[in-house]
Amino acid sequence: MKSLPYFNKREMRKIAGFEFELTRNITIGQYVPTGSIIHRMDPRIKLAVFTLLVISMAICDTYVGNFLALMFACLLFYISRIPISYGLSGVKPAIPFILLLALLQLLFYSEVASGGEVLLDYGFIHITTDSIRLVIVSALRFIEIIFISSVLTLSTSTTQITHGMESLLRPLRTVKFPVHEFALIITIALRFVPTFALEMEKMMKAQASRGAEFGTGAWWRIVQRTKDVFPIIIPLFNVAMSRAEDLVLAMESRCYVPGRERSVSKKYKPSRTDYAALMFCIAFAIVLLTFPFPY
Amino acid sequence: MTEQPILEVKHLQHIYMKGTPLEHHALAGVSLKINKGECIAVIGHTGSGKSTLIQHVNGLMRPQAGDVVVDGMDLADPKIDIRLLRRKVGLVFQNPEDQIFEKIIGDDIAYGPFKMGLPIKEVRDRVKWAMELVGLSFEEMKDRATYALSGGQKRKVALAGVLALRPDILVLDEPTAGLDPRSRNELLERLKTLNKKENMTIIFVSHNMEEVAYMADRIYVLADGRNLVDGTPEEVFVEAEKLREHYIGTPDTVEILAQLKAKGFAVRQNAYQLEEAANEIIALL
Repeated sequence: MKSLPYFNKREMRKIAGFEFELTRNITIGQYVPTGSIIHRMDPRIKLAVFTLLVISMAICDTYVGNFLALMFACLLFYISRIPISYGLSGVKPAIPFILLLALLQLLFYSEVASGGEVLLDYGFIHITTDSIRLVIVSALRFIEIIFISSVLTLSTSTTQITHGMESLLRPLRTVKFPVHEFALIITIALRFVPTFALEMEKMMKAQASRGAEFGTGAWWRIVQRTKDVFPIIIPLFNVAMSRAEDLVLAMESRCYVPGRERSVSKKYKPSRTDYAALMFCIAFAIVLLTFPFPY
Repeated sequence: MTEQPILEVKHLQHIYMKGTPLEHHALAGVSLKINKGECIAVIGHTGSGKSTLIQHVNGLMRPQAGDVVVDGMDLADPKIDIRLLRRKVGLVFQNPEDQIFEKIIGDDIAYGPFKMGLPIKEVRDRVKWAMELVGLSFEEMKDRATYALSGGQKRKVALAGVLALRPDILVLDEPTAGLDPRSRNELLERLKTLNKKENMTIIFVSHNMEEVAYMADRIYVLADGRNLVDGTPEEVFVEAEKLREHYIGTPDTVEILAQLKAKGFAVRQNAYQLEEAANEIIALL
C-alpha cells in the first residue's frame, strides 16, 4: 500500500481541511456586508464610477499616475472596511499571467515602446527604458483593476449590481436590446456560482469517500486525469439540469412571463454622498488622464 | 467496556472560513466514544455541527483542534494513509443518489473497489455482496441503467457503492431523508441487519426521532457545536425539556407516555419502542 510520504507547507494546508473548501476560493459573487459608506452607495453610481476608474487606469501610463491609482484602490478597501487580504487573494491566481505578460512585453514590445534610452541590444532583444516602463505599468494596472473590481463585488450584492446594470443599460431598449433578460441571465448565473461550488464540493467529498483521487496523476497522463473528473462532472451536470428545471417551475408559478413589462420593488435614488463620490472620481480620472506627471 | 473504542473524538473544534469576517464556529468541542458494533445516532438541530462532525471521521476534514482517532489512526497526524482510512470508514452523504455517474448499476458500485486496485474477481464478489446486502438482486439488476431507477432504488445503489469498500464503520448523513415510508422502513431494516449480522459499526445522523428510537443503541445530541446529552435512548429521552430548548423533539411514544403520566396514569416512562408503548397503553385499558 502506498503511504503518503512527504508534505510541504501547501499540502499541509490542504490536508488541514481546506482540500475541499472550494467556496473559500471563490470570491466572485461573494458579498461581505460591513455596512460601510461604499456599501450604501447607489449601485448605478458605483458601476459608473467603476467603469470610469477602470478606463482611466487602463489609459494612464505614468509611474506616478499608476502609483496614485494603486493607493486610491487600497484606500477604497480601507473605506469599505473590507480586509485587503480579499483583494490580494484575487491577485494571487493572476500572478503567473502577470509574469508571463511582463516577460513577453519586455522581450518583444520594443517596436511599440521604442522611446527612451536603449539599455540592452542583443539580437532581437531590445530593452529600452520605455519598455521597462510598459512592463511595470501594466503589472500595476492589473493589480489596480483587480483591487477595484474586488471592492465593487465585495461591497455590492449581486442583485444590486444587476439592478444597477439594468438601469444604466435602459437606453439600449430603444434599439431593441433585451436589457431585462440580459440582467436576469447575469443575476441567475452569479446566483448559482456559490451553489454549484457547494454542490461540487459535496460531490468531490462523496467520490473521495469512495476512493476517488483528484489531481494526483502525472500531468502528461491527460486521459487518466480527465477520466478522474468524470465522477464529479457527470453528477454535477445532472444536478445543474434539475436545478434549472426547478427554477423554471418556481419562476412560472410566480407568474414570470418573458418579455412582459415588470416593475421594480426598489427604486434607487442617488444621495448627496453619491454625487460627491461621483464628482471626486471624475476629478481623479481627469487627473490620471491629463496631468503631465514627470515620470 | 474495557476494549479500545473504534472511534474516539475528543474536544473536536472546527471553524469555517477561519480568519475572514465570515468565520463560523461549526464545532466548539465535541467528544464521542464509539465501540465496535454499536449503532449510534447523532441528532441535533440544523447548524449544530452534525455534518461537519461526520466529515472528520473519514478524513475529509482534519481536526483544527482536538483529536479524532479511528481504530488507532490519529487523524491529526498528516502521515496516516488516508486511503486506508477511507476504506475503514464508509461515508454516505445526504441524497447519495446524486453521486451515481455510471450508466450501469454494476459499474457504479464497482467504482470504489476498482479504485482500490482489486482484481476483477474480487470486485465482482464485492459488488454482488453489497447489492445483496441492500436488497438488489445481483443477477437481475447489475446490468440495468441507473437513470431509470426509482428514488429508493437509486439510494440503495449509492449505499451499495459505499458498502462495496467493506468498511468497518458506516457513517450515514440522514439516510432516509426524502424517501417514501416503504423505502424508508426497508432501508432501516437493511441497516439494522448490517449492524447485527455483519457487526458493522453504524453512525447515522437523523431528524426523525422514531427512527432514532428504533435503531440506535446510543444517542449523541449536539447543540451549537457541543455535546448536549448522550447515552442510551432511555437516558436521552428523559431529558425532554433540555432537548426541547434546542428544538429537538422526542418520539411520539415518549410524548404520549409523558402526557399519560402527567394525567396520573401509571406508565413506564422508558417504554419508548412502539410495541412497548402500545403494551403500556393496552395495560391501562
